[in-house]
Amino acid sequence: MTMNHRRSLANQSNALKSTGPKSVAGKRASSQNSRKHGLNSAPTFESSLEYQTLVKLIAEEGFSAFACADIASGLLNYRRVMDAYYDTYASPEPVDEFLRDANVKASNPIFSELLSPSGSEPQDVREMAAFFASMQRQERRKGGPVSRRTADTHKLIRYQRNGIARLSRAIRQG
Amino acid sequence: MLYNIHFSIDVDVAMPVEDKSKSLLPFLASPKFLSNESEAEFQSGLQSLLSELDNPSPLAVALVSQLNESLWWIRRHTVDKELLLHEAMARLLSKAGSNWMGSGNSKLSVALEHYLDGSADKYQAGLVEEALVEANLTLSDLRVRAFKDAAKHIKMVDDLIHRQHQTMRHLQRSIDSIDFKSRLIKRMDLELAALESKQPVKGALTLDDEPS
Repeated sequence: MTMNHRRSLANQSNALKSTGPKSVAGKRASSQNSRKHGLNSAPTFESSLEYQTLVKLIAEEGFSAFACADIASGLLNYRRVMDAYYDTYASPEPVDEFLRDANVKASNPIFSELLSPSGSEPQDVREMAAFFASMQRQERRKGGPVSRRTADTHKLIRYQRNGIARLSRAIRQG
Repeated sequence: MLYNIHFSIDVDVAMPVEDKSKSLLPFLASPKFLSNESEAEFQSGLQSLLSELDNPSPLAVALVSQLNESLWWIRRHTVDKELLLHEAMARLLSKAGSNWMGSGNSKLSVALEHYLDGSADKYQAGLVEEALVEANLTLSDLRVRAFKDAAKHIKMVDDLIHRQHQTMRHLQRSIDSIDFKSRLIKRMDLELAALESKQPVKGALTLDDEPS
């Protein structure tokens, strides 16, 4: 049995031992693992202090009760989108400088040393170098911090468009 | 992060409109700032926009502050366009250089930024000039190539700026609509007051003392 096959079997048996979170709190926490900005979830503003205050203020400007509710929730929803926009802009995915700047070809002897000290498994070394090179290509494709935050905020354009359209419509129809 | 209303409301509903607009200001007019940005500058922009409105209602103030934030975002994204070019220039120089592993992209990127600003020290200037010689490029050649290299992300920034322009258009139309509505209400009040004053006969049609 080769080293590679043994490692693969060990990985598979270890994976079977992991069955995910068991406690309610753990399950609740892991249910949020894939959440990015939370803008796809339906917001409920009605119980908030901001909403109540806004409704009172807008009502004084001669809008109907329905229009007040629409405008207040539209405004709070727009703020929610802009806050998420800022958060995405201000904290982009960090650049892995080591991976990006590493010289893969020059690292081949290191892989050889790590994977096959006896020098008997050149296939493993080649696979590892190819894997490392593909990770590096992905990392470089993402660019620097400015490119990353640009790409990330670009994904939120549609939420901004919907948010401002909803607010504007509520005010003009009110 | 979600639904993070980062401002506080402290508005007395019974206060006059001018006071309300002042106290509503912190409610929607204080977005988050990056470490290198000045809040005072943002607020002065907001005040100048507000000064163009004649006795704005609280809702109008809220919308104007959103409009000011859009202007702020346009400024940020415009700076980003130049930064994207710098990033791409540094990337090209690093790639062309023989010491790809040693110099590092971020180090060169910072040096290049200072070099283009004219604020680079001797070491940074040397680093950039050495990299340019090694890559056999002039600064303008490098900029042209970098523009091509970063075209995808520059297009994205243009989209973001365009979105802010569209947002401002929506906000402007909303502010106009509120202004028109308040003028209409004022005009109706005046007409009612005029009608009341024209009622000479006692026992004829009576109108409310305080027209709504």
